Amino acid sequence: MKKILQLSLGIITSVGGFLEIGSVTTAAQAGAQFGYKLLWAILLGTLCLIFLIEMSGRLAAVSKHTIVDAIRERFGFPFFFFVLLGTVLVAFMVLVAELGGIGFALQILTGIRFPWWALPVSFVVWLLMWKGTFSLIENGASLLGLVTVSFVVAALRLNPDWTSAASGLLPTLPDDDKSKYWFLAVSILGASISPYLTFFYSSGAIEDKWDRTYLPINRVIAAFGMTFGGLLSMAVLIVAALALRPKGIQVETFQQAALMMTTALPKWGFYLFALSMLFACFGAALEISLAISYFFSQGFGWNWSEDVEPSSDARFAFVYTLIIGFAAVPLMFGVDPIKITMMSMALTSATLPLAIVPFLFLMNDPIYLGKHRNGWISNTVVGVVILISFVLAVVSIPLEIMGG
Amino acid sequence: MHLVRDVLDKKLMDREDCPMGRVGGLVMHVGESGPPRVTHILVGGPTLWMRIHPALGRLSSALGQMWGPRRKEPAKIPWSRVETVGREVKLDVEGKDTGALDWEIWVARHIIEHIPGGGSEEEE
Repeated sequence: MKKILQLSLGIITSVGGFLEIGSVTTAAQAGAQFGYKLLWAILLGTLCLIFLIEMSGRLAAVSKHTIVDAIRERFGFPFFFFVLLGTVLVAFMVLVAELGGIGFALQILTGIRFPWWALPVSFVVWLLMWKGTFSLIENGASLLGLVTVSFVVAALRLNPDWTSAASGLLPTLPDDDKSKYWFLAVSILGASISPYLTFFYSSGAIEDKWDRTYLPINRVIAAFGMTFGGLLSMAVLIVAALALRPKGIQVETFQQAALMMTTALPKWGFYLFALSMLFACFGAALEISLAISYFFSQGFGWNWSEDVEPSSDARFAFVYTLIIGFAAVPLMFGVDPIKITMMSMALTSATLPLAIVPFLFLMNDPIYLGKHRNGWISNTVVGVVILISFVLAVVSIPLEIMGG
Repeated sequence: MHLVRDVLDKKLMDREDCPMGRVGGLVMHVGESGPPRVTHILVGGPTLWMRIHPALGRLSSALGQMWGPRRKEPAKIPWSRVETVGREVKLDVEGKDTGALDWEIWVARHIIEHIPGGGSEEEE
C-alpha cells in the first residue's frame, strides 16, 4: 500500500514538476514560429529523459550511490571537478532564469516590474530551503505545479488537427529561418534533458532510502511521469501554434507568451498562464538550488540532507544560501530572463556529454550495478540523443549568436 | 585491494557514521626493506587541488592560512584507524578530532548559526 502511494506520488510530482521556464519558453517559441514542426524535438528529449531518470533511480537503488557520488569515486577528483564546473555553471544560469520566471509571473499578476521581485522571490525560495524538508519541497511544489495541466485543457479546447500535429513528430526541414529552427530544436532538447533533474532524482531516491525492491516502481515513475510531463510540453507547443502563430505573434517577451492561453480560455487564460509559470518556476528553482547543493556536498563528501537543521550540514546550507543570493543579482539589474533561458537551454545541450557520458559508463559498470547494468537499448537511446543534441548545439549556438 | 579504485575518493565515515569528507590522497612509506605501505589518509583542499595542478595546491594552502579555520597541515588520518573499506571507508575515529571537519564546523559557527533558524552545531 505504501509503495502504491509512493508510485502515485512519484508520477504526480514528475508531472507537476516537469514544466519550467525552459520547457515553456522553448515550446512556446517553437509553436509560435514553426507550428507543429518541432514536436519531434520534445518527443526525442522526453524519450531520452525517461531512460536517464530510470537509470539514475536504478543506480541509487542498487548501488546506494547518487550519480555525483559515483562520478567522483569512479573517475577521481580532477575529472569530477570539470564536470562540476560545467554542470554547475549551466545549472546556475537556469536558476537565474527560473527566478526570473517567477518574477515575470508576478509582474503579470501585479503590474510591478520583475527586477523588483528578484530579492523577495529569492528570499522566499531560500527560506523554504532553510526551513523546509525534502518531501515538502518535492511534493508541495509539484502539487502546486499541477496547475500546468491547464495547458492541456487549452490545447484540447483549440481543437487541433491531430493528423498534422502527429506529422510534427517526424523531423522535417523548415522552409526559412533554418538557423533559428535548429537553435530552437537544441534548446528544446536542453530543456527536456535537464541533467539537474537526474541529480535531483537520484538524491531523492537516497533520501527516501530506496533499495532493489523499488526498481519496478522506479521504472513506472520514469515512464509515466516523464511521458505525461512531455505531453504537457507538447500541449504548450500546440497552444502556441494555434493561438499565437495565426496572429503572427512571436514569443520574444513574457507578455507575448501569456497571450497564448487567452484564445482558448478568454476569461481565465491570462491568469492561468501566470499561475502556471509562478508555480512551475518556483518548483524548478527549489529543485535546481537543491541539485547544486547536492552536487557540491556529495562530490566533496560533506554531510547533506534537506531534512536536518542547517547547522548539521553547514556547508550544504551555505552553498544554496550563496547561489540563491548570487542568482538574484543579474535579475535586479534587469537582465532579460527569456534571453537567459534560451541561452542556458542551448548550453545545457552543449554540455550534456560532460555529465551524461561518464554516467553511461557507470551504468555499464558491474562494480556498481552487477546484473542490473544497462542493456543495449538504454545505451543506444541515450548515447544517440546526447550525440545529436551535442552536435546540433555546437553547430547552432554560434549561428544563433552571430545571427542575432 | 586496488588503492586508486577502492580507496581514493571514497567517502570517509567516522565511528558515529558521520560523513567526514572523501579520501583526497594517500601517504605511502617506501623503506629500504619491505614493500611500500600506506601510512596515512589525507583529507582537504590542498591535497585535492594538488591533483589538478601543484600551483592550485599551493594557492589553496596559502588561502587556507588566511581564511577559515587556518589549518597549517592537511588533515592526516593514520591508516591504522581504518576499520573497513567497502562502499565507504569506515574509520575508528571521532570526525571532529581529525581536522577533517574543521571547515564544516567553521562554516556552522561563523555563518550558519548567525542566521535565525540555523540551529546550533554544538547540539550534535
